[in-house]
Amino acid sequence: MLKQDIAWCPGCGDFPIRATLEKVLKELPVPGKDIVLTSGIGQAAKMPHYLPYSYFNGLHGRSLPLAVGVKLARPDLTVIAVSGDGCQYGEGGNHFIHTIRRRLDITILACDNKVYALTKGQSSPTTDQEMKNALDPAGNLNLPFNPLAVALLVGAPFVARTFAGNPQHMESVLREAILFRGTSVVDILQPCVSFNKVNTYTWYRERVYMLEEPLNDRLEAIRTAQAWGDRIPIGIFWRDEQFVCREGKDTFRKPVTEDAVARLLNTKCIMMR
Amino acid sequence: MEFNVLIGGEAGQGMFSVELELTEILSRLGYHFFATKNYMSRIRGGHNFHMIRVADRPVHALSGRPWDMVIAMDNGETERRHRPSLGESGIFIGADRVGQIEAEAKGSFQDVTATSAILVGLILAFIGADPAVLQEAATDETVRSAMARGRAFAARWELADRMPIVPKKVDHCKLDGNQALALGALLGGCQFVAGYPMTPATSILHYFAAVAEEVPVHFEQAEDEIAALNMALGASYAGLRSMVATSGGGFALMTEAVSLAGMTETPIVIIDAQRPGPATGLPTRTEQGDLNFVLHAGHGEFPRVIFAPGSIEEAVALARRAFDVADRWQVPVFILTDQYLADSVQIMEGRVPTKMLLRDYPVFEAGYRRYEITDNGVSPLTYPGLSEARVEVDSDEHTEDGKITEDLDLRVRMVEKRLRKLDGLQKEVVMPSRFGDQKAKTILISWGSNRLIVDEAVEALQDEGIAAASVHFGQVWPLTPKMARGLSRKRLICIENNATGQFAQLLRRELGLKVHQRILKYNGECFTVAELVEKVKRIVG
Repeated sequence: MLKQDIAWCPGCGDFPIRATLEKVLKELPVPGKDIVLTSGIGQAAKMPHYLPYSYFNGLHGRSLPLAVGVKLARPDLTVIAVSGDGCQYGEGGNHFIHTIRRRLDITILACDNKVYALTKGQSSPTTDQEMKNALDPAGNLNLPFNPLAVALLVGAPFVARTFAGNPQHMESVLREAILFRGTSVVDILQPCVSFNKVNTYTWYRERVYMLEEPLNDRLEAIRTAQAWGDRIPIGIFWRDEQFVCREGKDTFRKPVTEDAVARLLNTKCIMMR
Repeated sequence: MEFNVLIGGEAGQGMFSVELELTEILSRLGYHFFATKNYMSRIRGGHNFHMIRVADRPVHALSGRPWDMVIAMDNGETERRHRPSLGESGIFIGADRVGQIEAEAKGSFQDVTATSAILVGLILAFIGADPAVLQEAATDETVRSAMARGRAFAARWELADRMPIVPKKVDHCKLDGNQALALGALLGGCQFVAGYPMTPATSILHYFAAVAEEVPVHFEQAEDEIAALNMALGASYAGLRSMVATSGGGFALMTEAVSLAGMTETPIVIIDAQRPGPATGLPTRTEQGDLNFVLHAGHGEFPRVIFAPGSIEEAVALARRAFDVADRWQVPVFILTDQYLADSVQIMEGRVPTKMLLRDYPVFEAGYRRYEITDNGVSPLTYPGLSEARVEVDSDEHTEDGKITEDLDLRVRMVEKRLRKLDGLQKEVVMPSRFGDQKAKTILISWGSNRLIVDEAVEALQDEGIAAASVHFGQVWPLTPKMARGLSRKRLICIENNATGQFAQLLRRELGLKVHQRILKYNGECFTVAELVEKVKRIVG
């Protein structure tokens, strides 16, 4: 259906993610005009260009504050931030923590290929230890960032992981995440065919297993999120049905009136004592 | 007739309260006054002082004359630093007398904080405020009663009615510089503010957080300044007129998003309340050191506008205008203020115009192109969700419909489209304000907060028979030749609160104007009128 030239490598894990997102968004009980995508920079951050919705493709690491601004200004819009692991967890790591804390109804998607792909193969926050690449010729020395455990610890009410090699699973997880009223975080395991020769489709297929149900409590979810290596759980780790989402303010096309300003004229000085 | 008082002490000893309560009641009684402060970056201890000038005519600067009264809330430091600047017949109220007042506060009101209201009563008695009117103007019984005690102290110490000043009841509004900017922003239709606290911009954020309780405005405290500006851009994209306010260090973090605003043509207003740098500098003092920074902030080339209001009125007017300019031209608009203006409380005479500037919400068909190339460079702007028209915005170089592109011919057309907006912006610059006899050979040039200090200095020079006039730039970018009309033949003296004369250099570069002398101050304090007069006299002989 797309006449556009898509800038991803043939075989990129972003293709199935895009196709699934397109299907899920099309079937959402929300008019397409009310969907806004935000993204940063990276291969995955090009995603909004290949989907038929309004978007703000901003700067590297900044998809989340953009999403916060859009959602606060327009609670009526369905807001989805989609970017890669470098964008969401590295350059935007601080925003990842604090956006979750804001309790807004935003969906945070990370297409996690565990490598910086657009800049040709450097370590990302989620690159496994000892993985070799041009900037880490002796192997990555850093501990990998665990996005699910961090999201759970910071208080995200919906935390999930899915796999680009399993479109049915992706579809159900993404749909649930977007429909969930609150901040939902989905880490999408995404093979990079050009720069990650370890975490391939085959590598993942041999390891992933599906969680049947969300775990019973946040701590158990955090424990389960630690698992990596021979067996990698995918699915909804945590879903807090009691979560109270922060309500945005109805401000769009409701300007401040002149009467209100006249009343505010006598506001006392605020001295920062 | 005028009265100049300094109240000094350690942080936390109540001087802020005295200034706040005194300016509030002076305003209610209809006095002309000007108040500002010099304080340290600490919550307790150190040495802070507040300066209040009350006059029978409009005053908008520190006079720099000897003090008529110095009140020391501490034991020694205020006396050591400021008693030497007390006038011959000036009154020093030291620790012993302040101690008696504090004892009265504790004894009669069971509350040491009543000290400030007693001191306010004493000061008002000194300038001959009518006790009956004062009683009416007080907000509550404790304040009323405490001010009466203040008058009693004044009587006991033979200080009552020593320097009578008659209030000139005029229709007015009392504002500090930050409050004026916030009010102007509201009038400009601002409905979204995001920020991270940073002196001296913080009270703008507090103002918005407070009014958000009452009006359809949203304030969000961001995790850092990077997030603040990105949030504001997200909100602007979604349809609210948006703003951030910070100081130089916070603005440094915002610069990548300034460039994003330039590329995505997202309207935004950015306030930089300057303080002395580099780095953390002097957090609570004043400087005009960020002009070059704000002028050049953000990678790449894109148009911008920079306002630098010189008075409370101008702060309201230019903040209001900033939103209109940002919207119509889809550019970042900056407002440069500083700690001095931010922390000065003054009277704005006449009615504040409450006419709101509102934006349109145009609706387009599917196929809408956010970056349609037009003659004036401005593309049609709308917001998501209003129709099937998708609003596609991209930080990469993009096509007219907002898709990422590497078509280099299109790149050239997009660069030119964005830069064409500068032509339009140059046609609607805010002209400099001129004061004094423009036939004078000597012109004092200023920008931003120095305006009214310079204007009063011009008056004082004229009184001494020295012909001088002033020209103040409330808009410092873009600069156009018509703004400098007639200035090339004059002896130009540029007055700035920085060490390198940034605006003088800019005038030379942009308009070919040669500034002959510069009066620069960069110790973190504002100019006073007397100081400026002396410096100008030294130059013109």
